[in-house]
Amino acid sequence: MTEDILRINDLSTRFFTKEGQVNAVERVDLNIKRGEVFGIVGESGSGKSVTALSLVDLVESPGEVTNGSVEYRNEELAEALRDEYPDAVDGSFVDLRAVPETVRRSLRGASFSMIFQDPESSFNPTLTVGEQIAEAAEVQRRARANPRSTRAKTRGVEYSFSSYLASAVLPSRKFVTNSSRERAVELLEMVGIPDPVKRADEYPHQYSGGMLQRAMIAQALAGEPDVLIADEPTTALDVTIQAQVLDILADLQEETGMTIILITHNLGVVARMCDRVGVMYAGEIVEQGRLEDVFENHVHPYTEGLLGSIPNLDDVGGRLQPIGGNVPSLIDVEMGDGCYFADRCPRAMQECLEKPPDFDGPGGEEHVAKCYLADHPYDETQALSEEYFESAGARVTDRGDSAGASPGEVSEDD
Amino acid sequence: MISDRVKSNLKDTFVDSLLPKVGLVLLIAILVMALFAPLLATHDPTRTGHFHETGAPYPPMGYSYETQVAQDGEFGEVSVESNSTHVLGTNNIGQDVYSRFLYGARVSVIVGLSSTLLAMLIGVPIGLVAGYYGGRVDDGLMRVADTMLAFPALVLALALIGVFGESPVHVPDPIVMAGFADGMPETIPIPGTVTIVGALVIWVWFARVARGEALSLRNEEYVKAAQSFGTGNAQILRQHILPNSLTPIIVLATIQVAVIILLEASLAYLGFSGTTLSWGYEIERGQDVLRTRPWVSIVPGIGIMLAVISVNLLGDWLRDALDPNIDQSKRGA
Amino acid sequence: MSIAKFLLRRFLQGIFVIWGVITIMFGLRAVSPGDPASLMAGEGATAEIIEQVRVQEGLDQPLYLQYIEYLQGMMVGDFGFSWQARREVSAIVIGRIPATVELAVAATVVAIAIAIPLGVISGTRRNQPADYSATMFSLLGISTPNFWLGLMLILVFAVWFGIPYPSVGTSSLPLSGVSVPYPSSVGLGMVDLPTGRRDVSFGVAVSALVFEQSLSEMGTWLRHITLPAITLGTYFTALITRLTRSGMIDELGKPYVTSVEAKGLPSVLIRYKHVLRNTLIPIITVLGLQIGTLMGGAVITETVFNWPGLGLRLIDALHDRDWPVMQGIVIFIAIAFIIINIIVDALYASLDPQVSDE
Repeated sequence: MTEDILRINDLSTRFFTKEGQVNAVERVDLNIKRGEVFGIVGESGSGKSVTALSLVDLVESPGEVTNGSVEYRNEELAEALRDEYPDAVDGSFVDLRAVPETVRRSLRGASFSMIFQDPESSFNPTLTVGEQIAEAAEVQRRARANPRSTRAKTRGVEYSFSSYLASAVLPSRKFVTNSSRERAVELLEMVGIPDPVKRADEYPHQYSGGMLQRAMIAQALAGEPDVLIADEPTTALDVTIQAQVLDILADLQEETGMTIILITHNLGVVARMCDRVGVMYAGEIVEQGRLEDVFENHVHPYTEGLLGSIPNLDDVGGRLQPIGGNVPSLIDVEMGDGCYFADRCPRAMQECLEKPPDFDGPGGEEHVAKCYLADHPYDETQALSEEYFESAGARVTDRGDSAGASPGEVSEDD
Repeated sequence: MISDRVKSNLKDTFVDSLLPKVGLVLLIAILVMALFAPLLATHDPTRTGHFHETGAPYPPMGYSYETQVAQDGEFGEVSVESNSTHVLGTNNIGQDVYSRFLYGARVSVIVGLSSTLLAMLIGVPIGLVAGYYGGRVDDGLMRVADTMLAFPALVLALALIGVFGESPVHVPDPIVMAGFADGMPETIPIPGTVTIVGALVIWVWFARVARGEALSLRNEEYVKAAQSFGTGNAQILRQHILPNSLTPIIVLATIQVAVIILLEASLAYLGFSGTTLSWGYEIERGQDVLRTRPWVSIVPGIGIMLAVISVNLLGDWLRDALDPNIDQSKRGA
Repeated sequence: MSIAKFLLRRFLQGIFVIWGVITIMFGLRAVSPGDPASLMAGEGATAEIIEQVRVQEGLDQPLYLQYIEYLQGMMVGDFGFSWQARREVSAIVIGRIPATVELAVAATVVAIAIAIPLGVISGTRRNQPADYSATMFSLLGISTPNFWLGLMLILVFAVWFGIPYPSVGTSSLPLSGVSVPYPSSVGLGMVDLPTGRRDVSFGVAVSALVFEQSLSEMGTWLRHITLPAITLGTYFTALITRLTRSGMIDELGKPYVTSVEAKGLPSVLIRYKHVLRNTLIPIITVLGLQIGTLMGGAVITETVFNWPGLGLRLIDALHDRDWPVMQGIVIFIAIAFIIINIIVDALYASLDPQVSDE
């Protein structure tokens, strides 16, 4: 069994909006192993993307990571920080929530990097693609060139404003060096961009969507990260291009052995890429385990609903089955105390009005589900009354056969 | 047409933030001042304290002097600084600064509103027609607009006034005519040329915005449907295009009122408005006695500033709430 | 479309607009109430001079011939002859250009130097005291009439603080023209310069610095230009602050910023190389349009401070009803405005890679 690279405990992210507090990520526990592809799957608005951003501390105001720890295994970093932040270091793990922001920043690019959903809006339109990839390579090059950099960065030493001003006058003081530019071309070639030398000097609007997503992968790989977080990497692309991009990701993962956290609403992508899967609903991981366990031995009715919503290939006549109702609003005061899925659940019981703990699932030891059904079978006598659903229906509109949220090919995540 | 969504949006943004409220309060204050100037004023704003030509020395602060009251040929005590009779003091020729401040608001408001309205009446139909028909009509209009925009607003206004001269229009004051305010001037001089010139300077902005709206609206389904029923173009313009392009035009109009108020003040300051009852003119007059009676310039300047701030705040509020595609680049001026 | 083609098109459009400007000015003269000859001869001209003007300027010819002649004159830079000043209008205009350019450039430099940092601070620290102050400042700045601001600056610095007058600008404010019979507590020591002259131009100051290593001329120049530049620059400072603030807020909310942050780029580079740069691109276009406001503002500022530039001369010409000088200056300003906008477009095209491809 391979070692864990990330241990996420009790991670919560809240958005403090005018309408109220939104619990976008609710006490998430996940362990990610080195070298695996871990999928996080769920409907739009289930909190998948925010979970990803929370890991790298990129949640923006009015959002905030309010609770929990993200422990990252990195011997070197643990060593460097042990004396200064003894509480944050546990063996070779460092709790990233317990170290200053400068440390977390310094890990971006080099330890964690991200691929975003929409490549066209994720590149700066006024700089060449090559320049932008070279920037990422340069961040990593500078970190390497100064072995004590992690330590330096904990003290907030960074490229300063005066260096930026100087670079405006002296080309030699520019942040991006020629070697990084060359590296950018290599990276573009690696992800299969034809004529990379010429392409590096072009602007994002001169690329097609698929090429730009490959360029984004190149940018994400420039720092040779330990963990690559891919947030809906194929959603904005045509179906044929999706396959190409996934192939590239799979190949690169095989070559470099990096860990990938793949966030998607597309179960096909999960089945094709992932070793393990976490199913997310209303900010919680409701079921997680190895791909086979989740796909074949799933316990949680939500997982079942998700899988049921893919047209079954064996049964050609089968129609796409939407899950009734909509994803809840996630606004704190409206959330109630029970299982968040109870009001859409075909097998909700009395006890579901109290929050279920994590139960071991029938699959392997890593198979966990937040559902009483993992503990004991459905008891029809305990079923929730119709009145419950009616009152819940007032809160969660559109309960019933609305196809508003059918996760097989649900609308893109926010 | 103002939809319910727009209305609730307007309300929400108004309730949520302080600045629109400040703007509204200021605007109401200025409108009240302008409307009821004859009732609020303590003196006839045009009544001078002495003849400038006699060379009567300007007394310093703290002094008062005997002088001839111009209209009546009497002699009386005229004070310089603020006191119980003249709340804000008097200007170089013994006129009451406070009363002139109120009447100045009148002129600013009247010119600001009528000039903007006139510009709308010129610009909107031209813009709608150009945008709706497109083609040569549109090209022609855009070239004219480009040419007009090549003149800085104030410079164009000066050139127009240089040609046509300054002619004030004396409008009878209904409050005084009805006998509610004795001793106040029976007519108010409105700078007529400035009003027309202001409209000629800013109509292009209305034409451009209206054109843009018409250009996008003419491809809407309901316009196409109306065309297919054989509805006449004039009717389509009136029934569909105009009502749906009003929102950005209203926002633009708000901002342009501020532009006109500043333009009027500038022209009056430079001595080209043709009326002396204006904040801008008063500032220019105060320049002569800046050292001894700084309030003569300070007071009307604050008036202009508050008027422009109020309109700008309301303009910002409308723009944020209605969010039409008017950005800063279309502010005009 | 390449950048060159784009600029060529803008250039041709510019020529067209210049032709339009000249035509409008000719049209104004033609429709002006009264006799164009007496208009051109100026206020108080004798009947004899008016007749002389009529013949000399071809005003007795049919209108279309006059128009052709007018256009021909403009093409060779002949703006006409001022019967008031008894000089070529072009000579008058050229003599007044440096002062206006100095003032406009100084105001722009002041505005940009203050506004961009202020806008960045305001936009990146939203809803903090710094942001509120910057927002208030910019609201006041765009709402204050600049002639009043100029007077208030004179009042505060010269009258209340008692800084000797020439140090705050050259002015012919009638402050000095009035005999003051009572004891003066403020020693103003004013110089009443006749309009059209000033002590030191920028060129003189620079040559004194270079050839004589003398700083005093530069000091004098700076003392004179400070208040006018602040007066003229305030509206712009406020406007650019506003634009930079809202631009930064817009830009910071775009997805690419998250993506740039995710790659670990130093925050200085995120803020300036990426965000501010993209914010400034649209601002440049707005500034191009607002150069017109700057020119209008210069007319007023020059009047307040008796700054001997084009604007002051324009006002003098209007008071004298000196039509040839007036139309010469108006046409010159309009052409300058058009040329500046073409330059701005070129700048814009070179900064935004998408423009030249559209």
